[in-house]
Amino acid sequence: MTVLDILITYHIAFLQGLAVTLQLCAVIWSVGIAGGIALGIAGAQSKGWGRVVQWTSFGFSAIPALVILFWLHYPAQAVFNVVIDPFYTAAFTLALVNLFGVGEVVRQAVSDFPAQYLTAGRVCGMTTRQIVRHVQLPILFRQLLPSILILQVGMLHASLFASLISVEEIFRVAQRINSIIYRPIEIYTALALFFLAVCLPINLFAAWLKKRYTRDYSER
Amino acid sequence: MLTARNLSFAYSDGKPVFEKVDLDIEQGGITVLIGPSGTGKTTLLRCLALLDPPRGGEIVVDETRFAFPDASQTNPAPPWPALTAVFQQLFLWPHLTLRENILLPVRLRGATNGEAELDKLIEAFDMQAFIERFPNEASLGQRQRVALARALMLKPRYLLLDEITSALDVEQIAKILGYLKTLRGQNIGIFIITHLLGFARHAADQVLFMADGTIAEHGGPEILKNPKTDRLYQFLSVIAAAS
Repeated sequence: MTVLDILITYHIAFLQGLAVTLQLCAVIWSVGIAGGIALGIAGAQSKGWGRVVQWTSFGFSAIPALVILFWLHYPAQAVFNVVIDPFYTAAFTLALVNLFGVGEVVRQAVSDFPAQYLTAGRVCGMTTRQIVRHVQLPILFRQLLPSILILQVGMLHASLFASLISVEEIFRVAQRINSIIYRPIEIYTALALFFLAVCLPINLFAAWLKKRYTRDYSER
Repeated sequence: MLTARNLSFAYSDGKPVFEKVDLDIEQGGITVLIGPSGTGKTTLLRCLALLDPPRGGEIVVDETRFAFPDASQTNPAPPWPALTAVFQQLFLWPHLTLRENILLPVRLRGATNGEAELDKLIEAFDMQAFIERFPNEASLGQRQRVALARALMLKPRYLLLDEITSALDVEQIAKILGYLKTLRGQNIGIFIITHLLGFARHAADQVLFMADGTIAEHGGPEILKNPKTDRLYQFLSVIAAAS
């Protein structure tokens, strides 16, 4: 069986797995990006929130996402005597990791925003709203977008961990098909091609954005 | 007139930078501030630009009074850009071309003839060759000209300039300073921090010498030839020896 044969034969299973992966990513990405931006701005404006975001982000980056996922799926549910659908556990865990990851990136960028650009706007008679819209946001957008996109690719990769708590996402589907037909080279090649097709354009886009917008701002 | 009375400023640790500074900047006049490095000249300029609140004293811009400290926050909004400043570090926005840097504040103020005005300044400041570049693609001297052009496009009544010719060659300095002299006719009050004593001698209506946290001597440009205080005499001697 070739890669194409496997994809054709098991296309329904693959599509279902893909749909679950995309649903998972939709939650992780939307909560992470929208919430992370809000959290980062709050963290930059308040010292208390800033410390919360910074230290929680440090904590999440120190503990592997898989450990947190397992902890929330097994011991936490046993302690609280609840049973939660693994999809929600995975979505919650990875969204939380993404939320604080994006939050910290945004917090740092907003906190470290050079005050002189705002001063220039003020002495030029621009209102606060005009400064935010025409100076602060465009510069921050250019600085942040590549980092946030690369972070989202990492979260897509991390969504594979969901397979380990029985979420029927694309990696688990591939594993199950492999257990039936045992063609690991073809199946994992197909899986690699899938991730390549999704992630490579995002990575290239992030690299292009970085090259296009995050120029060397240093003075000569 | 822009007037400062009894102005004082201290760092957050309480260490004073300057005290009891009095000065007047007249529209249509050029006031030059000279003094050794680290005496608080830039801090004074930032206070006069109403960017940093002084610890005490008052600043009056035409009819509008700003009293410090302003604990109850009753001071009116600063009259930017009628009062504007160009800093040594220039503060050009890195995401915009030099042309856009100049035109953005003008456009946001609703001016429609910005391009025509800018063309005159491009010619006056010799900026044709680099006006479409981004700030990081231009030399410091080129950026200094653009920062000054951005301020002039806003038609200020008072223009505060901090060492804006430090990276220019002699020819460009002559052009810029010559242009500043013409602003007298446009009734703009210019306050300039500079080490160019020649400019102070030839163009200034008033020279202020700042040292040891105060205005140690002030007067017409003649004080540069006949200083009354030892401190200014020493300063001028050091500069003469260095050049």
